[in-house]
Amino acid sequence: MACRTEAEPSRRPLDALACTSTEECPTAPTGSHSVCMVSDFFYPNMGGVESHIYQLSQCLIERGHKVIIITHAYGNRKGVRYLTNGLKVYYLPLKVMYNQSTATTLFHSLPLLRYIFVRERISIIHAHSSFSAMAHDALFHGKTMGLQTVFTDHSLFGFADVSSVLTNKLLTVSLCDTNHIICVSYTSKENTVLRAALNPEIVSVIPNAVDPTDFTPDPRQRKKDMVTIVVISRLVYRKGTDLLCGIIPELCLKYPDLNFIIGGEGPKRIILEEVRERYQLHDRVRLLGALEHKDVRNVLVQGHIFLNTSLTEAFCMAIVEAASCGLQVVSTRVGGIPEVLPESLIILCEPSVKSLCQGLEKAIAQLKSGELPTPEKIHGVVKTFYTWRNVAERTEKVYDRVIGEAVLSIDQRLDRLMSHCGSVTGCIFALLAVFNILFLIFLRWITPDSLIDVAVDASGPLSSWPLPQCSPRDKMNPHSNEDSET
Amino acid sequence: MVLKVFFPTCCTSAESGLLVGRWVPEQSSAVVLAVVHFPFIPIQVKELLARVQQAGRVGLAVLGTWCHCRLQEPEEGLGRFLEGLGAIFTHEPWLQLCRERGGSVWSCKALGWPMSPGAPSPAPVMLIFYDQRHVLLSQLHTPATLPDPQAGDAPPSVGGLAAVFDTVARSELLFRSDRFHEGPVQLSHWQSEGIEASILVELAKQASGPTCLMLSFLLSLLSAVGACRLFRLWPLPFICSKLSTCEQARHRLGHLTFLFSPRKAESPVQLMRKVNVFFSLLLDVALGLALLAWLRAENCIGQLADALVPVADCVAEELQHLLQWLMGAPAGLKMNRALDQVLGRFFLYHIHLWISYIHLMSPFVEGILWHVGLSACLGLTVALSLLSDIIALLTFHIYCFYVYGARLYCLKIHGLSSLWRLFRGKKWNVLRQRVDSCSYDLDQLFIGTLLFTILVFLLPTIALYYLVFTLLRLLVVAVQGSLHLLIDLINSLPLYSVGLRLCRPYRLAAGVKFRVLDHEAGKPLRLLMQINPLSYSRVVCTYRLPSCGCRPRLSWSALCRKLFFGELIYPWRQKAGKQD
Amino acid sequence: MEDERVFSDICGGRLALQRRHYSPSCREFCLSCPRLSLRSLTAVTCSVWLAAYALFTLFENSVILSAAIFITLLGLLGYLHFVKIDQETLLIIDSLGIQLTSSYASGKESTTFIEMGKVKDIIINEAIYMQKVIYYLCILLKDPLEPHGISQVVPVFQNAKPRLDCLIEVYRSCQEILAHRKATSTSP
Repeated sequence: MACRTEAEPSRRPLDALACTSTEECPTAPTGSHSVCMVSDFFYPNMGGVESHIYQLSQCLIERGHKVIIITHAYGNRKGVRYLTNGLKVYYLPLKVMYNQSTATTLFHSLPLLRYIFVRERISIIHAHSSFSAMAHDALFHGKTMGLQTVFTDHSLFGFADVSSVLTNKLLTVSLCDTNHIICVSYTSKENTVLRAALNPEIVSVIPNAVDPTDFTPDPRQRKKDMVTIVVISRLVYRKGTDLLCGIIPELCLKYPDLNFIIGGEGPKRIILEEVRERYQLHDRVRLLGALEHKDVRNVLVQGHIFLNTSLTEAFCMAIVEAASCGLQVVSTRVGGIPEVLPESLIILCEPSVKSLCQGLEKAIAQLKSGELPTPEKIHGVVKTFYTWRNVAERTEKVYDRVIGEAVLSIDQRLDRLMSHCGSVTGCIFALLAVFNILFLIFLRWITPDSLIDVAVDASGPLSSWPLPQCSPRDKMNPHSNEDSET
Repeated sequence: MVLKVFFPTCCTSAESGLLVGRWVPEQSSAVVLAVVHFPFIPIQVKELLARVQQAGRVGLAVLGTWCHCRLQEPEEGLGRFLEGLGAIFTHEPWLQLCRERGGSVWSCKALGWPMSPGAPSPAPVMLIFYDQRHVLLSQLHTPATLPDPQAGDAPPSVGGLAAVFDTVARSELLFRSDRFHEGPVQLSHWQSEGIEASILVELAKQASGPTCLMLSFLLSLLSAVGACRLFRLWPLPFICSKLSTCEQARHRLGHLTFLFSPRKAESPVQLMRKVNVFFSLLLDVALGLALLAWLRAENCIGQLADALVPVADCVAEELQHLLQWLMGAPAGLKMNRALDQVLGRFFLYHIHLWISYIHLMSPFVEGILWHVGLSACLGLTVALSLLSDIIALLTFHIYCFYVYGARLYCLKIHGLSSLWRLFRGKKWNVLRQRVDSCSYDLDQLFIGTLLFTILVFLLPTIALYYLVFTLLRLLVVAVQGSLHLLIDLINSLPLYSVGLRLCRPYRLAAGVKFRVLDHEAGKPLRLLMQINPLSYSRVVCTYRLPSCGCRPRLSWSALCRKLFFGELIYPWRQKAGKQD
Repeated sequence: MEDERVFSDICGGRLALQRRHYSPSCREFCLSCPRLSLRSLTAVTCSVWLAAYALFTLFENSVILSAAIFITLLGLLGYLHFVKIDQETLLIIDSLGIQLTSSYASGKESTTFIEMGKVKDIIINEAIYMQKVIYYLCILLKDPLEPHGISQVVPVFQNAKPRLDCLIEVYRSCQEILAHRKATSTSP
């Protein structure tokens, strides 16, 4: 087997018994969709996109849809895995090129993606993140195969430099025949509409969410005589690590009772270490390295103030999580951040060392004077803002709308590509689209759809996955399976 | 659980009698070892079993009765008599095995099985035939999950089919008595053949002890000479470690001491290793003698000696041409003229030295080669390693060129990389093993940039010299490497094991395989258990002798990396020694 | 008891599944692929020889022709002896073990026997194979150190690669025997 991986508990053996004759499987009742989430970013990689996909999928499964996830292989984790509630994840063995994003040739992923779309009887492809090459590939192939596509954009882009000009062009091409686009904030919507030259009608805003039960305050963990500032982000340029390096020595000099806890990993970690060494701050600046998602809450509750130094951000989940844990949030005023939390819960600053220092000083002063509301109170307010169930409900509405739309025929699609994306790019991509269709016809000739085994559903209305109240070990037993079948 | 009866194939045609064997309760299987014929006295049977039990530490018992009905004899009485025997030898379950109507129909009943009274109808019985000889002689190789090869001598608590093998191997005493032996108890089981040849074996066994003692004494004398103080003086150990002949000779000496050590081999694995070493030595010496005979017959040595000096001259000539070409404008490249001239002259002088050295040596070459040829009687491997050493000595100039080139190139690359860091305002932090940022003065930056430029412009010249000599060196290394591969092959091939696998496949068992014999409804299922021989690749893997060279194996990527950064490639040990 | 049914493999090729029930505790499943067809053999031989002949006309060296003959013969031998598997058999015997046999076209057989004590379960699993996602039957082996762990996954019918309907057929039968084992091993 090319990609057999070592068995481990998360990989659940399939109960073939549950689906007796695949030919007679009834079609899913109307109102329930077969959704395929595609993105390069998924667990075990950590970040906002990853948890968004996971939580959204779980809520959609709860609402009775069938959801699968396609991502690329992470190290030894390749093949097919099952997560909670029968969420099926395909880790495809594609080469990773840069920053966990696969290389795109527009064609090499078609055979596998087509095989999966056919065997899982997918009706809607939902791609995530404009950084993910695989997501764009999937949109392209999905259109070639005549499936409905939805795209969620999680990030903001500039318009000025060469790389963003190129990426924006690609985004234009990729999104020009996508049925619907979802953005996480109004700023992000504005940005995406401008970048991809879209009709604003087909762009919806559905914010991210946090699980408020995971982020509960616990003031006992705080140190009484100290002020602790928590920073949790990837240590990269986009997240403003350089700003952080300027802030730390200045504030530490001013306030002897100030501590920093910094969670996250990245190429910019080294400059933080240098700052720490230069100013002898080893006892006051703790670098925790990469954090697991479950540990984030335990780190957050140790602090009084949460600092976010991002230079660009579509929707900052980290500040919502921090606010949910009852921390005072200080953040840069960039992207969609001002929309996320009300003025009373956040101190917004300009993305400069001076302004951020002022903001932090203000927060420290409030803290020392006791003006800040208690953590429980903040939690109580934030808890109601963003929930995944709400996100799933709204996403479902998008799906309902999309499924009714007509699929563009080939000539319409080519027309659209040529008219919408400029003459040169449009022609090139129209040519590529034709090649893609030819490739698809070739693949259909090599392995006809009838030869592809229809997969046993693990989620959705025809699910063979055990109900949540049964323990998984019971269902491993073939006896109980036979019983449930008869 | 299904009751399994392991029944030896050699007993299928035995007369009626009692089944003797071992009951393995965990597997619910009965391993029948032999059939006791009528007439017998129960007490003597029990005595015999007790004796075997003591010798092999295996719990033997009378398991049941065996009834072989020839033709259509009405044997009503016998059946009843056999049932009665159950009262004398009590055993739970009590087996009643019967072969009827000319051997085509088998039936088997198990009384007192299943143990639990609540169980319904009698549980099914499975008859598994096995070849006693094969199972006794074979050595079970447990799958690769057990990392320890010493696990072969099975501990008492072996599970599964290993228990069957274990039982048969432990009750070897039972099979000692042969067919013509007039004992109190008549048994039917596998009989070994070829008693006559065993006289020779006995003689060899008797003789081997003193021979081993004497040879090991001689060997210890030899190694004592080798260990004396004279050889500990400075240059000798160093030279010895570099010459592959010395390595090979030491390796062979180790083999001989291992072979003739008076201690007995403890495990079958070790015994196999001894025999393998012996055969590998034998093959080596035989090949060496054949080579010697061929050399003598054709007078190759004289021809070789005559040809050697001109060849060395010719090589030097070619090198000179190469250098001249490099000093001009090689392949149309424009090089730094001054540096090019300096390097070229330096290497030319080296070649000149080398040629005079060869000419000085030329009168003695034939004598040296003659003695080298003689060394072939110590084995082909020794002769081959001598050849490799001679090649190394004759191409010493190429090695020198390579080292000079590599050192220069290495210096250059390192200088460039550190200056590049300076360029970007970084520096290498030795204490923390990482790149730190650092602010430099203007002077430092200026000088650094200047040096960087000079180094960059001189790089092509040096790189070209390095490239050419590295290729030459790689050629020599490839020849030597293939010689060493051949030596390793002869050194490590487990000849005896492979031969055993070829001629007696059952001796090396990877496991068992089953074949279903024709089955009739209502009768017990009959299976034939055969030995599944070890595959050749696994035989070679398991019994491979350790090769002599402890050369570290470099992966291709590591090799390319080293080549690119100008680190020395072949005598890796030298570098390791320097670090120490 | 013996019956034969025809299935297809994942590439649409024809596979014949023979089931033999020797007794309630012993079953055999035998998947046979179509034998080497004369047509493909002829095609390959002809193409090799034509290529050799073209080279021969180019270089005028007859060594090429004899080399081509040798290559064809050795290639055919190697293919029949090491590559082409005609039949794959799964023999499952209750309380004894599972035996996997693959017979090559040349008659060579390679057999693996797994004792029942080591078998944890038989399952159908999914894997990404080449540019496909396929189902395959596999045997899970127990980890000797850890009772609930799995030490190894042994794929069955690795060469034939039958489709899901065929696998389900075999899986059901195997599970019946395994269930019997579990029922008896827990009752005493």
